[in-house]
Amino acid sequence: MDCIISIELGTNAVRVYAFDLQGQIIGSARGTYPTFHPYPDYSEQDPEQIFITMLYVLKNLLNEKIHSKKYRVTAMCFSASMHSLLAVDKNGAPLGNLITWADNRGQKEASALRGSPLAEEIYKATGTPIHPMSPLVKIAWLKDQQPGVFARTDKFMSLKSYIIQQLTGRIVLDHSLSSATGLMDIHKREWDPTALGYAGIRADQLPETVPINYSPGKLLNQYRVSLGVPSAMKILVGSSDGCFATLGAGVWDQHKATITIEDSAAVRVIGKDVLSDGKRRLFNYVLDDTHYVSGGPSNSGGVVFEWFAKQFGDFRNAFDLETCMEDLIKEAAMADPGAERLLFLPYLLGERAPIWNAQARGVFFGVNINHERKHFARAVIEGILYEMYSIERMLLEHRNIKEISVNGSFASIPFCTQLIADIFNLPVRVSANASSVSMGAYLLAATDIGVYKNIEEASRSVSLAETYRPNVRNSKVYAGYFSVFENLTGKLADDFEALANL
Amino acid sequence: MNLFELQQGSSRELQLFPHIVSTGCKKNNAIHLESFRETAVDFFRIYNIIDGKYEWRVDEEDLHLYPGDTVLILPGRKLSSPKGFLEIGALAWIHFEIDCLDHAKFVPGRWSSLNESECYTIGRILLLNRSLAPSKACEASRILAALQSELLNQGIAFHTRVNQLLDELLVAIARELAKEANPGRDFSKVFFQLEKKLRDNLARQWSVEEMAATVGMGTTLFNVRVKSYTGFTPTNYLINLRIAEAIKLLRKPELNLTDIALDTGFCSSQHFSTTFKKLTGYTPSEFRKRNTGDT
Repeated sequence: MDCIISIELGTNAVRVYAFDLQGQIIGSARGTYPTFHPYPDYSEQDPEQIFITMLYVLKNLLNEKIHSKKYRVTAMCFSASMHSLLAVDKNGAPLGNLITWADNRGQKEASALRGSPLAEEIYKATGTPIHPMSPLVKIAWLKDQQPGVFARTDKFMSLKSYIIQQLTGRIVLDHSLSSATGLMDIHKREWDPTALGYAGIRADQLPETVPINYSPGKLLNQYRVSLGVPSAMKILVGSSDGCFATLGAGVWDQHKATITIEDSAAVRVIGKDVLSDGKRRLFNYVLDDTHYVSGGPSNSGGVVFEWFAKQFGDFRNAFDLETCMEDLIKEAAMADPGAERLLFLPYLLGERAPIWNAQARGVFFGVNINHERKHFARAVIEGILYEMYSIERMLLEHRNIKEISVNGSFASIPFCTQLIADIFNLPVRVSANASSVSMGAYLLAATDIGVYKNIEEASRSVSLAETYRPNVRNSKVYAGYFSVFENLTGKLADDFEALANL
Repeated sequence: MNLFELQQGSSRELQLFPHIVSTGCKKNNAIHLESFRETAVDFFRIYNIIDGKYEWRVDEEDLHLYPGDTVLILPGRKLSSPKGFLEIGALAWIHFEIDCLDHAKFVPGRWSSLNESECYTIGRILLLNRSLAPSKACEASRILAALQSELLNQGIAFHTRVNQLLDELLVAIARELAKEANPGRDFSKVFFQLEKKLRDNLARQWSVEEMAATVGMGTTLFNVRVKSYTGFTPTNYLINLRIAEAIKLLRKPELNLTDIALDTGFCSSQHFSTTFKKLTGYTPSEFRKRNTGDT
């Protein structure tokens, strides 16, 4: 029997899934790697550790679930987090750690660029909002702050490029991840001269940018033997986690959007057009030759609720954090919608879309003597979801969204899914798959080997399970709260800045 | 406060407890200059501060002690006072003998009913941490007071109770120390700290028991938590770290393979080579050849 392997190089872990050609998961495994914060704004990972962890997890999964059951691996497809940057010297050795999407060291460079006339041109050409997350800004930071490293850098890679180079010898990057570097012209699908000029690098210092269904060739012999995969196995570069999650969420129509909430979060749509946002708040990333994934990312996902649970949860009976969070959600469900006039702005890590303000901070508003922990717990969850809704509202300027699908560990908690239906006042469907990202990778690989006619048919084949319908009465309540939420966020901008400058 | 002092050999109360060297509770009403010279601690000493403020030094570490604080001083450490005298105040103490405490094992003595693996964990925690049991370990001061009251009152079954309370005291202090070493609710933080220790001491031959003790957990629970958090058993996680570090070192042509093997915690270059090849398909020297610009 044939099978397809997807390899997801995520923010905290590598996840490997094996699918049969009906799209059923026949095995999965994961291994984590740490993120280092040598300084508060820094966020780094060890590329070698990620590589070794991936190999280890892959090898174990193959031995335990694939070879032993006589499956034959037909294709292997990669997904990775966006915006990572790894400087590599002429011998291929990394010059330091991988800088992840969450790294904020380039704040000064980002705000300087945002204020310059280049900003509009670069954003329009590249589709990536100008922010420290963007590799464009990270390279500019290296040029300013570590000129020695900058000068010794032969290639500015992304994590996926590095991993694929280790496995195949080729240095490539798919269009989706390329379009999230802030360096690629998303209309022409090639490196953008203006962005390159600003970063101070040449196109040949970047990986070769290739379509998501491109195959960089075979595994190097040693890995092929050690993993025990057939020499005919095809490698596909694949796409980014965001694009794959959207593909795997089955939202191919103009009137659908998908919400992903893991630690961080995003609202996304698929379409043939680039959504042009005058305020430069939306991203437009390349999916394939004709389609874009557009939307807004938020820092304020499940990580915010996790923070609340760690600080204020009851650990006397809870074995671990997960149980404690479950208990808090039960408590939150006991409070009324709106948490009796308690609102929470979830900007514990600053915020990206829609306000793009690294200085934003969390706020509880409307605290009253009668408020208990259940109200705070509810307010935190509602605040995270109001923020999702504010991203949705940007997309509503371009699209008439009638249906939402949700995925990710936080969004698919039934209590949260129902709240999304109520706050968005739209029917919400939950992805049946454990991981939409890996589902997306499977769909691409399955299309490539002929299971589906094209990627559109593949995406439409995704089955979405139950539907949550909005409760009309609650929707009205939330609409009122949302407008206060939005006002507060706007009004506090100056004070966030004042606080940051103290 | 009940002031008293019991000494092994002269106090009848301690006859049944040969391991307890001395215990008591005393008030210091006056300062006696030069009365507190540096002493090499001979026994297991636990002090509980009842009143006053003390500045002591254990080895190189300065301790500022306040009422409610519990201090544990292991045999072999040097105890002194920077001022040279004992400050005014009140404190309770117990000094007792143990059979053995080193990096390989901790044997309190026959009086203790802690089992071997519990002792191992407690021993590791005691050796790896500071002397001060933090955050006003009220638990410890309550247990010490109860123990002393058993000794003085000699109620029914006091022989057993005193030894039980001494075990309890050890457990309470070890737990308190481990709690400070890791913010217990958040395993990701605990694991991150451990990971850092592993990275900083890759060459060392870590056992799972030792890793577990470093974060103050029992081995079984530790295994479960690490597996569920990382996807790996502790041993396999450590092997990943070792190979990842080895890859970095292999890119430096000036280092020889045996040194790399030993620096990354493999017991021989043979062991290194087999493990490396099993995972990557390359021997270390093949990997080096491919990654140092030779191809």
